[in-house]
Amino acid sequence: MSTLSFVSSARRASGAILLVAALGLCGRAVSTQRPRFYPDDPIAREPESQDASKAKPYFMGSLYEMSNNLFVTAGYKPSGTRAKSINSIDEVPDSSWFTNRIGSTTVTVEEIVRGPNRGAPPDPSRWTLTREKTSGSHPGFTARDAKGETWFLEFDPPYFPEGATGAVAVATKIFWALGYNQVESFLTTFDPKRVDFDPKATIRRPSGARTRFTPDDMNAILERVAKKADGTYRVIAGRLIPGKILGGFLYDGTRPDDPNDVVPHEHRRELRALRVFGAWTNLTDLKASNTLDTLLTRNGRTVVIHYLQDVGSTFGMCNDLHEWDLSYEHFFQADTTWRRLFSFGFALSPWQRVHYVEYPSIGKFEGDVFDPRTWRPQTPTTAYLEMRDDDAFWAAQRVAAFSDDLIRAAVHTGEYSDPAAEKYLADVLIKRRDKVTRLYLSAVNPIVNPRLDANGRLTFENAAFAADASGAAATYRASWFLFDNATGERQSLSETQSRTTTIEAPRGVLPTTSGSFVGADVAVESEGHPTWRRPVRVYFRRSATAWTLVGLERLPESAAASTRVAADPL
Amino acid sequence: MQSVSISRLFVLVVLAVGAATSAVAQDPAPSTRETAIEQDQAEKVKALHPYVPGKGEALFNRAEDILVNGVPSWHPFFTSAYYGGGFTLGAGYAHHVSPYNMIDVRGSYTILGYKLLEAELTAPRLFHRRGSLSVIGGWREVTQAAFYGKGMSTSLDDRTDFAFQQPFGSGTLTFWPTRRLWMLRGGLELSRYSQQAGEGSFPSVDKVYTPATLPGIGTKTTYVHSQGTFGFDWRTSPGYSRRGGFYGVTVHDFTDPDEKFGFRRLDYEVIQHIPIFREAWVISLRGEVQTTYTKNNQQIPFFLLPYVGSGSTMRGFMSHRFRDQNRIVGQVEWRIMANRFMDTAVFYDAGKVTARRADLDFSGLKSDYGIGVRFHGPFATPLRVEVARSPEGTRLVVAVQPIF
Repeated sequence: MSTLSFVSSARRASGAILLVAALGLCGRAVSTQRPRFYPDDPIAREPESQDASKAKPYFMGSLYEMSNNLFVTAGYKPSGTRAKSINSIDEVPDSSWFTNRIGSTTVTVEEIVRGPNRGAPPDPSRWTLTREKTSGSHPGFTARDAKGETWFLEFDPPYFPEGATGAVAVATKIFWALGYNQVESFLTTFDPKRVDFDPKATIRRPSGARTRFTPDDMNAILERVAKKADGTYRVIAGRLIPGKILGGFLYDGTRPDDPNDVVPHEHRRELRALRVFGAWTNLTDLKASNTLDTLLTRNGRTVVIHYLQDVGSTFGMCNDLHEWDLSYEHFFQADTTWRRLFSFGFALSPWQRVHYVEYPSIGKFEGDVFDPRTWRPQTPTTAYLEMRDDDAFWAAQRVAAFSDDLIRAAVHTGEYSDPAAEKYLADVLIKRRDKVTRLYLSAVNPIVNPRLDANGRLTFENAAFAADASGAAATYRASWFLFDNATGERQSLSETQSRTTTIEAPRGVLPTTSGSFVGADVAVESEGHPTWRRPVRVYFRRSATAWTLVGLERLPESAAASTRVAADPL
Repeated sequence: MQSVSISRLFVLVVLAVGAATSAVAQDPAPSTRETAIEQDQAEKVKALHPYVPGKGEALFNRAEDILVNGVPSWHPFFTSAYYGGGFTLGAGYAHHVSPYNMIDVRGSYTILGYKLLEAELTAPRLFHRRGSLSVIGGWREVTQAAFYGKGMSTSLDDRTDFAFQQPFGSGTLTFWPTRRLWMLRGGLELSRYSQQAGEGSFPSVDKVYTPATLPGIGTKTTYVHSQGTFGFDWRTSPGYSRRGGFYGVTVHDFTDPDEKFGFRRLDYEVIQHIPIFREAWVISLRGEVQTTYTKNNQQIPFFLLPYVGSGSTMRGFMSHRFRDQNRIVGQVEWRIMANRFMDTAVFYDAGKVTARRADLDFSGLKSDYGIGVRFHGPFATPLRVEVARSPEGTRLVVAVQPIF
């Protein structure tokens, strides 16, 4: 080979390598470019395609979780990232975490009264104690009823008769309606005269050893709980959750042993939204041990199901009669600590001035001073901190869907012996619902449920007006555009406007070809609501005869946390 | 040659196209949203692993196991052999001998060389949870405890030092007839004090006093110390409380088989916590009176005389600053809640010792004041740091227990 030919060959070879590289890149680019919308958008259910049977139990320690949340998570800077568990129209599809119920469909009074309860209630004529209660802060047992079914029994503390049990009964109905997996829970009775002890029943002792569960162990618990005049005890019985228990889920990251868990939990809207639902119901104890993952085989595939297991720290229930700062401060906050230290306590905190009408069965729960923005759980979670205004808006729509009748029906399941207490709890929930909806439904552009008919007429609703969260007049403007789903390019059309919630599209410009896309940025002009000027972007796909909503973006992918209404105004 | 090169180029192009096609085949673009999510899930299968707690989490879990479940383990021990020993360091090993009963063997050493070695058996669950028992045996050595003379008119310049060694063994049974509120406690202790010359930089007590002028000097006395307490306690916990109180009376009998140094002592103690502004403030009050009664022709050794001045009585004064037959102490604290784990407090202590019980009044009290922080949980105060000021100077108090 001559030198010249070698050089020539080398050049060609180099060119070939470049070509390979170029084609490779090209091929990869082709293989990974995803269209904005797929044919199945918007999906109604999050798929779980992989077998999760190898997931292993793990129970995070409460001390670590509390310390980590108070001193590490508390300093977390929200990313401002849009939730990732939503579909293309800004809704949360059904999944092993969440099931669309209220706000998506109609929940009737009968349905909310039944809540998560599907099976028969326990038969309390005979209880067989099998071991101590393994979760929750209030005293209890694990026991089998007269029919041999296993239940977790929880009692009321003496200072909250009917309170802890009533809170679980009511809150499970509310959180079931909101879409969370809930434990079947029934109010029933426990008669210590009708108790057996399973010969294999054990209890963990301070030494770490498990020894036989004795009548004295039962008495030790019964001495610390509220007793009825007839010598029996009111209990809330939670049915044993089906499947293998894996421990609680965390409010950040994903389970490393669950292949279907691909969305970081802090970016799951249904977990972020607990900031709103928690504020409404005063669910202050957001920690892993109040949640539960179970491994369940259904339709031939083993998947992890995620439960919001213990929602009993709601309304006025807490661990101590004197936890005045609960729901106003995390267990530790640097700002309030310094304020009290430097002022020697003269700078009063809001919780020191709140007036409570205290019913023993309700606790410290009120709706007059309540402000959803300043509400605090015991410890912050990453999901709590990541909540954006569009997450809060989504949550507030669900809260708004609770009619007075539904709330009163849910509260009635608490079987409070004092009608005044029952009325008070429902009244406060209604007040707090109104505050939540007024704040969050008007915090962002509130147009919902957009439809584009075949004649080019765009119709939607104003959720803030619908929930009486705002009474101002409004003008709606739609900036129309054609959308190329393959490239993501937009071609602007003209703008139309209306003083009603129906806007005509520009005449003769909307495509009629099946599979074509059109979009509109819908902004709202309304006095006192400058945030409504930020448009909601909607996308429609044309079928042979109609337009279908395939996309809705209330806020952009990244929104500055400092502009959030959800953030603490202080 | 040229044809070979062209063929090579052709092969390369084919390979390139193949590679590109292969890339497409290995990672096909999803055709649906569901497929796109399933691809992410399939990708995660390659990296599945169980949750592994980090080192920090494992450490916290271990701490929680010890705190909540009481699993036997090594533990720090900061209790000094005697007030005034200075910074104390020690360790112990606790081991359950039954589901509830535990033996704790521990020891401490102070910066002044005070030594404490002891073993305690605790049985916290007796008489159907109405009683608890503590049996303890040990030995301590104190090398340079302060004695300033009797009464309130002594000065810091009067300081002398004394030492003692004491083997001891005791049993204390506490009984709650109603499981809470009412408390009865009885105890019996056998111990032997060997009083010796002080080792500190101050004159030894035997250089300044004689057994005639100060009973107890150079003595080796065996005591049978019995005591009984009747109390009413409605605090949330003796270790930390923001409400409730404790009212109690304790009778002590110190019997010297040689009938030289036998005496009796009565302790009256009242603690009351008054929450204000929903417990963000707590006015905490404590009053205590100790009176002693000598037995026939016997005397009270100087080192067992009631005293004021310590991290738990009058914090602005040196430990055991004043000693005499009786004492009265009053303490008031304005406690301010900073958060769930920390309080700060402004405090004022007053007290005196007297030779006669009739002089136990509010005249001639010495006093101090100060400020401090307490780090606490719902039931315990593991760290208390205070700065106290008295006419005799400023003192730093670091303690691992509540003041009251």
